Amino acid sequence: MRRLIFHIVCFSVLLVSAAQARLFNGEEFYLPNGMQVIVVPNHKAPIVKHMVWYKSGSVDEAPGKGGSAHLLEHLMFRGTAKVPGDGLNKILEQNGAESNAFTSTDMTAYHQMTDISRLELAMALEADRMQNLKLRDKDFALERDIVYQERKERVDNNPAGYFNETLRRVLWQNHPYARPVTGTPEEIMSLTKEDMEAFYKSHYAPNNAVLVLSGDIDAATARQLAEKYYGPLKKRPLAPRPEMPRLEPSFKAFFTMEQPKVNSIRVGKIFAAPSYNIDPQDIYNLTVLSAYMGEGETSKLYKKLVLRDEKALDVSTAYDSGARGYGTFSISAVPAPGISGEELLEAIDDAWAEAIRELTPAEVDKIKTKMRAGLVYLRDNPEHAAYIAGSLAAIGMPLNEIEKQADEIDEVKASGVKKSAEKLWKHAPQASGILKPQKELTPSGTDQPGKKEGRR
Amino acid sequence: MSHRPLYKKSPHCGIKIFLVMLLGIALALTAYERLTGFHAQEIVDNSILKAKTFAAPVQEVVSGRGIKAYLLEDKTNPIISVSFLFENGGWAHDRADRQGAAKMAAAMLGEGAGKYNSQAWKEALESKAIGISFSAGKDDFSGSLLTTTENAPQAFEMLRLALTAPRFDQADIDRVRALMLEVLRRQKEHPANELGLMFEEELFRGHPYGRNPAGDPAAIRKLGRTDLEEAVQARLAKDNLIVGIAGDIDAAAASKMLDDVFGSLAEKARTAALAAPEPVFNGVTEQVSRRSGQNIVRFAAPGAARSDADFYPLFIANYIVGGSGLSSRLSKAIREDKGLTYGVYSYQTLDDAVPLLQAGFSTTEDNYGEALDLFKQQWELFGSKGVSAAEVEQAKNFLTASYNLRFASIGNIADILTAMQKYRLGQDFLQKRNSYIEAVTVDEVNAAAAKYFNKDRLQGMAIGSFDKVTKEK
Repeated sequence: MRRLIFHIVCFSVLLVSAAQARLFNGEEFYLPNGMQVIVVPNHKAPIVKHMVWYKSGSVDEAPGKGGSAHLLEHLMFRGTAKVPGDGLNKILEQNGAESNAFTSTDMTAYHQMTDISRLELAMALEADRMQNLKLRDKDFALERDIVYQERKERVDNNPAGYFNETLRRVLWQNHPYARPVTGTPEEIMSLTKEDMEAFYKSHYAPNNAVLVLSGDIDAATARQLAEKYYGPLKKRPLAPRPEMPRLEPSFKAFFTMEQPKVNSIRVGKIFAAPSYNIDPQDIYNLTVLSAYMGEGETSKLYKKLVLRDEKALDVSTAYDSGARGYGTFSISAVPAPGISGEELLEAIDDAWAEAIRELTPAEVDKIKTKMRAGLVYLRDNPEHAAYIAGSLAAIGMPLNEIEKQADEIDEVKASGVKKSAEKLWKHAPQASGILKPQKELTPSGTDQPGKKEGRR
Repeated sequence: MSHRPLYKKSPHCGIKIFLVMLLGIALALTAYERLTGFHAQEIVDNSILKAKTFAAPVQEVVSGRGIKAYLLEDKTNPIISVSFLFENGGWAHDRADRQGAAKMAAAMLGEGAGKYNSQAWKEALESKAIGISFSAGKDDFSGSLLTTTENAPQAFEMLRLALTAPRFDQADIDRVRALMLEVLRRQKEHPANELGLMFEEELFRGHPYGRNPAGDPAAIRKLGRTDLEEAVQARLAKDNLIVGIAGDIDAAAASKMLDDVFGSLAEKARTAALAAPEPVFNGVTEQVSRRSGQNIVRFAAPGAARSDADFYPLFIANYIVGGSGLSSRLSKAIREDKGLTYGVYSYQTLDDAVPLLQAGFSTTEDNYGEALDLFKQQWELFGSKGVSAAEVEQAKNFLTASYNLRFASIGNIADILTAMQKYRLGQDFLQKRNSYIEAVTVDEVNAAAAKYFNKDRLQGMAIGSFDKVTKEK
């Protein structure tokens, strides 16, 4: 739970609204030091979500320094000059705040959910650790061991997780998105305290951060508090943004992976797709395309592959446009018993082509209606607005564009969706993979099912 | 001008100068501290956003047909959430030769009812943004509904249909069955799941709690329409129904909804509470050898039921030992001070037939022996030495100050209203809950620590590689 690595999930279904409505009715402004502030009032309960998003993540790490951004995120809980040791955790706990953080490829965020009477406390602590972090050798060594264990827990005991990580690595190749956010175990253990200090100094600054306040607060109070706590922080020169190499559009890769603990087959296919930063218009076509193709059990691929052809037990698509570099369009599926992964991948190709032929304006309207219907739920839990607005702001989308995504979806036409789908399918770099059970058993002695020994 | 001495000589001059200097240093330090230190309490005291009393008045609604529910009206957004459960309808109540029936029934209630076949059902829900879902837990069969106020009439009608006229079409049964078998096939991919299955089977030996929650593959292959109808009829009734309602709906509308949706259910369920299992707690941690990236260990010990006088003292004790995240004693000893694990935790479980205190962690093989020793040491130390007044104070502060956070979404509020009725916490629980926490004394926490934290009564099981562990011992 704590400090989890947050793979920005596909919010596409949530990103849509009725034509006249803004998604959250939020407000946005900048402090003189460059810090961006987004306020989303929600007066249901006297609580507020406070988040600080840094526009830096694992893609900003130097080569060979994989895991720096994430390890630094952990070290941000190990004390500053003013609030040494575990003081931040202790103070927030004393005051009933839930506090955590996460790192992704493109960004890092720190956040607290708190009673409004404790918001200023959270802001004071967050502002303090933006510039006064004190790294001690002992804490560094301990936290490096902890993230090493985290990596083992998340990936090494989880064959499906390892398969998905590999699928991404195969697609992205030399692109920084290929690297796991945690770093590899070897990279983690080779990191130094100096690596952390260098990353901190060149990325943790108000001019690289977005403050989000979502909850029982109005914009005027938010501005007053933002100026009080974050206003005095000084701008810093930032590290140059990393190069995001272009992938070869004709790239198509395929791999299979056998894992000893796996008893059923899974297939995955991912595309390096346009993102908001690559093609801001295309993303709405692809958002509708993903909903049409594979989001939910009334989607086209589900109807064809699961219900009609009975070749899959499940199939789904997801599209993430909120990225600094490429976005990702992905298809995941589970073959029905007796169907091989290879057969299912072929069947997906056929079903996709058929679904594109059937894509009519009426079908697109149906998708839009569904997307619009659930808009009001976005105003329920203040955390949802905070995550959506913050993650999109962190990749450079201004609030007015976040707010009007519904209008953009309303403008989507079947012809546009078809064109974007064609471009994706034929001209986007792509990788497919199959996860299978291992054919032969592991060497004897390493695996002894059922053997138990008592130990006190 | 003659030179004037700064200080008049006096017999105590040295001392005075020293005292003045001390005072100066103290003042300077205070000033420095004022400028540079962090004054949490001061920030809270001077905060321009003051704490608000948050009323959350819960009403009890009784429908014309006598169905009771708790309601928390909230008009902030045009959304309604209904949470409901049928007691003793969970998977542990499946017939021994029908293990998986409750889960399959829960899945099938989402596959169409009345005139809506599976696809028409899902299309209707999606186009109106209505969420209806069912699940079979260990003890209860539960469900939830989320709708906009505008679409509430259709949402309530669809929920009524799901509960009273599910279709159970054969093609959907076959599809759901195939998915359940797939879940079983990949159930042991993660060693934590394999450990959980083995641990509970052993702990609850012979009792339904020890069964595989995902069902028995042989039974699942045979389950058909008649079994599902029987499973639903036995479970879904008025005498084991609990409902919580939150959001944009008033008492009159809620009362009508209760009759419309649940009114035609059978009066009495044909399911009963389970006998208590008799787990053995003997301080032994069994080892199961598997090739895995980390060793994982789980523990269980006797716990306190929600209605037990020990519940709140143990609630606070558990928070201090392993429930509070990074600053818990276990986390401090094994994670924060030693870097041996990503996470170590303890928690209370309140299953109907047996309350437990549980704990666990995972770590690589080379760390396992040291982490296990530290864990047992902390557990024992807590039982024998207890807690300080400061620790209890800190725990109470968090538990009371964080209370409002649970009102973030109406879905969560509806669930709380249901739990308040299941555990008989009273209609005024939301107003009184913090006073229950505050009333717990240090002595009570220490008594709970002494009673529940004893390493000789901690039953454990670990999965992973133990070659290095054994060699070191």
